[in-house]
Amino acid sequence: MSKSGPPPLTPAVFHILLALFGKDRHGYDIMQQVKSDSGDAVKMGPGTLYGSLDRMIEAGLVARGDTQDPRRIYYRLTALGQTTLRAETERLSRVALVARRELKKRVTP
Amino acid sequence: MRGAAPWKESRSLRVYARLLELYPPAFLERHRAEMLQNFADLEDAASSKAALWLMIGKDLTMSLVSHFFASRLGHYVIAVVGAWMMLFAIGYLRYGSTPGHPALHVFGGFLLGMLSMYVAARSYGGPQNSGYVIGAFVALILLFTIGYLRYAGPLGHPILQVLGGVLIGMLSMYIATRVYGAPGHGSHA
Repeated sequence: MSKSGPPPLTPAVFHILLALFGKDRHGYDIMQQVKSDSGDAVKMGPGTLYGSLDRMIEAGLVARGDTQDPRRIYYRLTALGQTTLRAETERLSRVALVARRELKKRVTP
Repeated sequence: MRGAAPWKESRSLRVYARLLELYPPAFLERHRAEMLQNFADLEDAASSKAALWLMIGKDLTMSLVSHFFASRLGHYVIAVVGAWMMLFAIGYLRYGSTPGHPALHVFGGFLLGMLSMYVAARSYGGPQNSGYVIGAFVALILLFTIGYLRYAGPLGHPILQVLGGVLIGMLSMYIATRVYGAPGHGSHA
């Protein structure tokens, strides 16, 4: 992979972006969506979630919504967040394709 | 999913609220209310308290470590521990294993000293404001002096080596908290 591009996203960041795609969500909702999307493989607690969200807001991937209630702040994907999610999905698809091809080659005698 | 109704103040929630104090204040200012609400939601949905605390314990550990190592103080600690390890490796290669045990004793004490000063600074908001920390520091110096006098000063006794290490570790973390600010009080980048 010599193509220069953004570095791969961490699983936590990828799952948060995916959870926010198409719908604004608050923290607990994001955690539940991540759990569901990953088939229970990624269980994110509040500390990890808000640490990641802070970094993502700083990177311009996610924005905080205007909320009256400080206990239920909604987060939304920015245009950059959407582009990043699509790019990462493409990258993962290519990797999965290569992996599948290699596995097939090595399994079949 | 429930709305943001007033929290049921369970004992678990109170414990979690205390544990949240371990995070940097700036982070808490942004997210404390959300985190407490999330905990209340997780508690409602949890199959058992054990499962809930297992998840929260893992989350706290991972995120606190990540916060610490992202801070300037964390970088300082990594640099100091790295320098120690390098010195130890150079000593080992140059002089063989002969000074290895004393160096390990001092290193163990050093880590303990740094950790205790970190916890004290975290709990008391900075060593410069804390009689407790200064008291502990003075007590350690006294213990070290008594030990030194009693064992005729060759610095050969393992306890003395550990104590010496603790003192250097505390001093090192004291300097770090003076330079970079007490942990959680502006030390986080």
